[in-house]
Amino acid sequence: MKRTAPVALLAFALVLGAFPALAEDTILFGAAVSLTGKTAKEGEYTRDGYNFAVDTLNAQGGINVGGKKYKLAVKYYDDESKSESTAQLIEKLINEDKVTFILGPYGSAPSGTAAPICEKYKIPMIEANGSAESIFSKGYKYTFAVLSPAKLYLKGLIDLVMSKDKSVKTVAVLGENEPFSKEVASGAADYAREKGLQVVYQELYPTGTQDVSALLTNIKGKNPDIVLGAGHLQDSLLIVKQAKDLGVSPKAMGFSVGPSSPEFRENLKSNADYIFGATQWTEALKYNGDDPWKTPKGYATAFRAKHPKYGDIAYQVAESSAAVIAFSRAIEKAGSLDPAKVRDAIAALDIMTFYGQIKFDSRGINTFKPMAIEQLQPDGRKYTVFPSSVAEKDALYPMPAWDKRK
Amino acid sequence: MGGAELGQIFVNAVLLSGILALVALGFSLVWGIMNIVNLAHGSFIVLGAYITFFLHELLGVDPFLSIPVAMVALFTLGWGIQRGLINQVIRAPLLATFLLTFGLEILIVNLINYFFKADVRSVTTAYSGTGFTLGSVRVPYIRLGALGISLVLVALLAWYLRATRVGRAIRATGMDIDAARLTGVKVATIYAATFAIGAGMAGAAGSLLSMIVPFDPTLGGGYTQRAFAICVLGGLGNVANVVIGAAIFAFVDVFVGARLPSLSRAVTFAILVLLLILRPQGVAGKRV
Repeated sequence: MKRTAPVALLAFALVLGAFPALAEDTILFGAAVSLTGKTAKEGEYTRDGYNFAVDTLNAQGGINVGGKKYKLAVKYYDDESKSESTAQLIEKLINEDKVTFILGPYGSAPSGTAAPICEKYKIPMIEANGSAESIFSKGYKYTFAVLSPAKLYLKGLIDLVMSKDKSVKTVAVLGENEPFSKEVASGAADYAREKGLQVVYQELYPTGTQDVSALLTNIKGKNPDIVLGAGHLQDSLLIVKQAKDLGVSPKAMGFSVGPSSPEFRENLKSNADYIFGATQWTEALKYNGDDPWKTPKGYATAFRAKHPKYGDIAYQVAESSAAVIAFSRAIEKAGSLDPAKVRDAIAALDIMTFYGQIKFDSRGINTFKPMAIEQLQPDGRKYTVFPSSVAEKDALYPMPAWDKRK
Repeated sequence: MGGAELGQIFVNAVLLSGILALVALGFSLVWGIMNIVNLAHGSFIVLGAYITFFLHELLGVDPFLSIPVAMVALFTLGWGIQRGLINQVIRAPLLATFLLTFGLEILIVNLINYFFKADVRSVTTAYSGTGFTLGSVRVPYIRLGALGISLVLVALLAWYLRATRVGRAIRATGMDIDAARLTGVKVATIYAATFAIGAGMAGAAGSLLSMIVPFDPTLGGGYTQRAFAICVLGGLGNVANVVIGAAIFAFVDVFVGARLPSLSRAVTFAILVLLLILRPQGVAGKRV
């Protein structure tokens, strides 16, 4: 009796694991997403975005490949926010689960470890959440990203401030020492220099930092007009907290990651006011695309109907859905489930979606979609303030000094 | 480095030393007395942070007032964990205690993750970020308060270990467990008390950290590392050593961070390695 229980359990697990592959007219995607660990939240966004697009397409009857209708399904593994395990899991998806299409993990580092595996097996991957160009500088032919690349993240914010104030001269950039944030930081600094601004401070801090007082003290001495942060949510929160602690009050402060997440205000309360954040997508944007939802608003409404728990819809959700749309369009266009043919169709793709234009340059990066800028304003809401053609509200500038606020 | 900046960096380092001393205090006590490197120490800190967070968020309790609650809760948990689990491996090889506390850390972190989600939290009060200015140097109230509380707890523990019966029994057990037992010390109870005090201190550190840094369930691991480094820097066996270790750690971290932030951690740990070669008993520790 004691022996049979584990065996039965194992058999049960095997049956469960094999289940998605059994349905014959189903296209199975594979994804290793961080459902636990440091980026569990973002991993959840990613999974929800993939699932929502898959469910929506299935509800419309699936996709049409060479005259035959196919349903879509995704097989998930949890990479526990560890990029080493992402690579193993992708290998497992390809070898054991016989998956021929990969949807990307969450984050630049895991996307970077997944890419060479896809390359090795010539299995196309469209990823939605890794925008470091280092992933794409190695000549991989099977990895594509629907999102705008890291170095464009803070460009819009510099443009925005310069359009508001002709007298800005100096910028300080601080970034987390990891591939994605490093590119965001150097991209922002390069662009600022290109625009004739003086970059008075540019430094990186270690991942998982718990104290940035040293950097901010240095920045305070240089009194820059703009402070730009390139890290992750926790870093951005810490920088704002300590900037207030130390009385660092530039005219504008913005971050690549953080402000677009609802947790930003939940953590900082009114100290979040006036902060700018870069975002891949907001529901205020005015795209009109060829997909089940057409517009950002349409997407948001449909998504919330299915997930009432979501307030703001994080851009990670939308871009993950966009990756599924891009994949399904390419498969339809290829008219085949052959990975190499689908890969070529992805490379040639040029579609307009609710998420914006999806088109890949020769490296596989979507350099055709601009980044938007949001601002948290004192009325407790967050508005898309740039590009001005789609802005919901005018940006509030300059940011009042910390000690001059009520 | 100008005078104003130097002054500010100095103050930053002093403020950081206080909180780091409290972070390492319980860890050092458990290590020094019970010879257990408690890898679950960080998860106790995280629990303290969540207790303060929820008391503030749900009941509006001022975060400083919730420190005793966090301490009592963690003290109780620490007592339970010691009696139920750690006691089983007390004379076992070091590896067994490593594995046990390592597993405990993973268990606690994942339970927190399951119940409270991976969301980033922080305790933000009306006085968050406010402070006063001394010349050109800003001193934030919360960090100053954290320093004060850390020093009070450090002093209390030092007094307790020196002046009370239980405190002396704890130290005696740390010196020689068999001799202590022969003199009538109930070692099991003393170990439970030691571990519980260590956990309680971690709870207090977590309460303070929740006001200072944004945290999520994985906050603790980095602080276990810091506590370890501080104990090695300062040396075990004395509460004052913890303060010295924390001060060295904080000053190196902040001063290197002021100019070479991307190297601050590498330099801190390079100094640690160097010290282990030159003075393995720690800066203030006595040669055994």
